[in-house]
Amino acid sequence: MTGSLTAPAPVRTQSILVIDDELQIRRAVGAALQPLCDNVLEAMTGAEGIKIAASLTPGLIVLDLGLPDMTGIAVCQEVRRWSPVPIVVLSARHAERDKIDLLTAGADDYVTKPFSLAELVARVQAQLRRAAFQSAHTSMQVIADGLTIDITRREVRRDGAPVHLTRIEWLLLHALSQNAGRTLTHQQLFDAVWARTFGNPQQYLRVHVTNLRRKIERMPATPKLIVTDPGVGYRFEVPEE
Amino acid sequence: MISSRERVGWLVWPLVMIGATAVLVDLRTGIEQSHEALILLLIVLGGSAAGGRALGFTLAGLGFGLLDYYFQPPYDQIAVSKPIDGVVLMAFIATAFVTTELLARTRQEKALAEARASEVSTLAEMGAETLRHAEPEGALEAITRQVREAIGAAACTVLPWNGDDAGAAEVLTGGGMIATERSAARAAIATGRLAFADEVGAVRTEDISTLGSAATAALHGHVLAIPLRAETRVIGVLVVRGDPRLVVDAPRRRLLAALGYYAALGVERIQLKHEAKRSAALENAQRAKDEIFAAVSHDLRTPITTIGVLAQGAALRGVPEAAAILEQSDRLAHMVGDLLEISRLRTGSYSLNAELNTAEDLVGAAVRLMRGSLGGRHIDMHLDLEAPALVGRFDFVHTLRILCNLLDNALQHSPQDTPVELHATREGPCLTFAVADRGNGVPVEERGRIFEAFYRPADATPDGGHAGLGLSIARGLAELQGGAVSYEPRAGGGSIFKLRLPATEVHDLSAERA
Repeated sequence: MTGSLTAPAPVRTQSILVIDDELQIRRAVGAALQPLCDNVLEAMTGAEGIKIAASLTPGLIVLDLGLPDMTGIAVCQEVRRWSPVPIVVLSARHAERDKIDLLTAGADDYVTKPFSLAELVARVQAQLRRAAFQSAHTSMQVIADGLTIDITRREVRRDGAPVHLTRIEWLLLHALSQNAGRTLTHQQLFDAVWARTFGNPQQYLRVHVTNLRRKIERMPATPKLIVTDPGVGYRFEVPEE
Repeated sequence: MISSRERVGWLVWPLVMIGATAVLVDLRTGIEQSHEALILLLIVLGGSAAGGRALGFTLAGLGFGLLDYYFQPPYDQIAVSKPIDGVVLMAFIATAFVTTELLARTRQEKALAEARASEVSTLAEMGAETLRHAEPEGALEAITRQVREAIGAAACTVLPWNGDDAGAAEVLTGGGMIATERSAARAAIATGRLAFADEVGAVRTEDISTLGSAATAALHGHVLAIPLRAETRVIGVLVVRGDPRLVVDAPRRRLLAALGYYAALGVERIQLKHEAKRSAALENAQRAKDEIFAAVSHDLRTPITTIGVLAQGAALRGVPEAAAILEQSDRLAHMVGDLLEISRLRTGSYSLNAELNTAEDLVGAAVRLMRGSLGGRHIDMHLDLEAPALVGRFDFVHTLRILCNLLDNALQHSPQDTPVELHATREGPCLTFAVADRGNGVPVEERGRIFEAFYRPADATPDGGHAGLGLSIARGLAELQGGAVSYEPRAGGGSIFKLRLPATEVHDLSAERA
């Protein structure tokens, strides 16, 4: 089965849930997301949001972290117990630790305040595309920006020419491409590549990523496939058409 | 000066010699002359041991006479019959004189050594006394008491002086001291020399080394003022007043010199204590300010977000003012971010997450982050992709911020149609990122100030939208992780800002096949 992440599928979903205690933000965000769905749902509190998420099963959740009744992280964790619905978080906290905690708690992406609506819409769109793709395929082959990754054969080709990767580079690319559109934290990458090895090799993660980019990116200094999420991790990105 | 022990010696020893002679006279025919001479010599030694040099010599003379008169034939007259008797007499007197002299000298040296030992122990005691005090003020009081007792002075004052101390100035001009003391103190402070004042206030000065010199002459004066020094600075003055005159002999001079050091230490302690208090207060105030700043900046983000989001919504609906509102709220957001950053730098509330990172990763992230604010401008990257990746141990996020600030600064201060260059190289132990522009450069006189917070170039438009924190934050973040940001003019016009970070060696991982 072949699935191409580059396809600019006009992804829409039935409904998007916006959980935010501020009316104006809810309205503005809702208006901006209107073109991506049939119906924008709104919730003012975490509890209300969880209830709506369970009963109306929205296709995506936009979640503000500063809710009056519970922390955004707790909402994330609760929803994740029973649903893989994409969650995009709005966060006023800029510390990388907070972002890592969010991703670990199950959020798929986040934007930090103050954010632009255009950016939020782009992130939401990317998550919708990823979700649609993942539910439709088990990607045995990933094609992005002229790069072909054959998972079963463990083969990588750039514009048809084979690319030789080290074992670690392959494991990195595999983990990243299987989670395309989603940031994997450094820890998650460590776990995926080095599993239960102890000791020092993990500290070379960033050097391995740099070497991998030199092999698969068209312009390694301005990478388009493996993007750095500063202080958080790396993301295999679907190049925008 | 004659001690009572010596006085007793003068009474006793001549009598002993006369008594011994009386006894020996009866036996003189039965004993040899040399035995008599030895007995008399013994008495001379005893006398000089008890009564000192003068008694020894007196007894030697007396013994010489007695020996000649009573014990040498012809008896009972001052005459010598045989030449050998004359030799005995000469030997007696010479031996008596030499031993007396030697004994006296030994005694003198012993006395001197004792005096020195007691001086040293006095000084040690004083040192301990002054240093024992928990409060430096108490130590100074102890020193003045010691000086009064040791010198026999009527008054002793230690006056701290730091050049602009109003309290000290008042003492020097008015109360607390009598006129002669003030004149001497002022002279000592002004010249850094020992100052003497007589009863009518006439002042003369002498080099400070006079105090510790070996010269035996005593110092005389009504008031003596000793400048107290810390390194080369005069930090106070020790004023001693006699009643009516001070006579300071060599041992006391040394004592005074030592006490002067102790007093200087005490004064310095007082000054340090005050400085510490002052800077602690300042630091607390600064910290409180920065903390409030941080909290406020954080709370500002929420309303700014709302304003921005509403403006974006309005812009989508075609409201004409929306774009301006959006632009202003973006500026505000940017400034709040900068303020937050600088306050975190100042409160030291930054956590550092230094890890192995590559220059390439950093440069790529920086250029990606800058995309939004390039406005058609171009960043030329210079990176050697053939050589092994450049690696350093640094905090990625902080360093990204530094690089973005430098790029932002370069874009702002160079013409629209010129590119900004970004070079990443290895320079010895350093990973160097150079951001070069073709702007006007920085005038020599402003180069020292460009990294100050809130600095703006003299020709900057007041509405530039920047609080002047970018470079200051960049330098602060670099120094936080053992790096540096520096400026240098660019050949052919423009500026180069360099970020240097410690580089790390990594063996080539690209060939690794684990």
